[in-house]
Amino acid sequence: MLRLINVHPFFWALLAFPAVGMLAGFVQDPVSAFDLIHPSGEFSVRFMIIAMMVSPLRAVLGRRRGLDWLLARRRALGVAACGYGVLHLAFYLYDMGDWGMIAEEALIFSIWTGYAALVIFIAMALTSNNASQRIMRANWKRLQRLVYPAALLIALHWVYVDGETMGMVVHFVPLLILETARVVLMFKRRSARRGKEALTG
Amino acid sequence: MKFAQAMLAVAAATAMQFSGSPEAAATGKMKCDSGPQTTWKSRTDLEAKLKKDGWTVKKSKVDGGCYEVYGVTPEGQNVEAYFHPVTMEKLLVSQRGKVIFKK
Repeated sequence: MLRLINVHPFFWALLAFPAVGMLAGFVQDPVSAFDLIHPSGEFSVRFMIIAMMVSPLRAVLGRRRGLDWLLARRRALGVAACGYGVLHLAFYLYDMGDWGMIAEEALIFSIWTGYAALVIFIAMALTSNNASQRIMRANWKRLQRLVYPAALLIALHWVYVDGETMGMVVHFVPLLILETARVVLMFKRRSARRGKEALTG
Repeated sequence: MKFAQAMLAVAAATAMQFSGSPEAAATGKMKCDSGPQTTWKSRTDLEAKLKKDGWTVKKSKVDGGCYEVYGVTPEGQNVEAYFHPVTMEKLLVSQRGKVIFKK
């Protein structure tokens, strides 16, 4: 069983598993689209956060086998985050069912932040392949770093749609702590290096 | 290090957003001083009344001593609305977090 999870296609299937349940529920009862908006969005956020945690974890803990394992699957997690984001939008559009109202709502702060984040996700997912990475060179990394503004947009989208902060905070706090630790560590290492240079230089 | 500064800025902006005023961020929540539930009108009655008024009700529940209804207004707006469970008075209507009616 543990070996099986190491097989990449199996890992992709694992990530797709919740979506199968959601789609089955939707096919049985299309009215459930309303209830599926929230969980699909939450899975998108979860996969994004796990993918985003790999780098700061490596910066804080150093190289670990478990982290290398996760790093090898970061692309799958990112693409899954985008997939669930698209599913989230699809359930929302179906539930709305009226293009005029959809356009009207798109101007509300809580809604356009969601669209903006999804545009970033789609651009990132479309370039999540070795060929794009090769062709785009340094720009590839620049594009992937847009995940940070996307994360902020998603946090705002969540809080403003829900009218409460708890759900968002519970999901984002681990990432925020790790990123803070990474930045603090970076400044510490740099000042330590400078101190050394001052002594020897 | 530009990147580190950008990350700090994002973290700071996020922290400010949520430490500052939860009231400004949270728009949807409402509290009702509505006494014991035995004095309440039934949720079914509220739903029936709303449907008669031209609403579509998707879901309703009790939240903060109020009745909270997810649905579509007669004007076609998808909203989250709060009603007093005793008087059935409309207290707050929010469209995706944007307050469009407040008593």
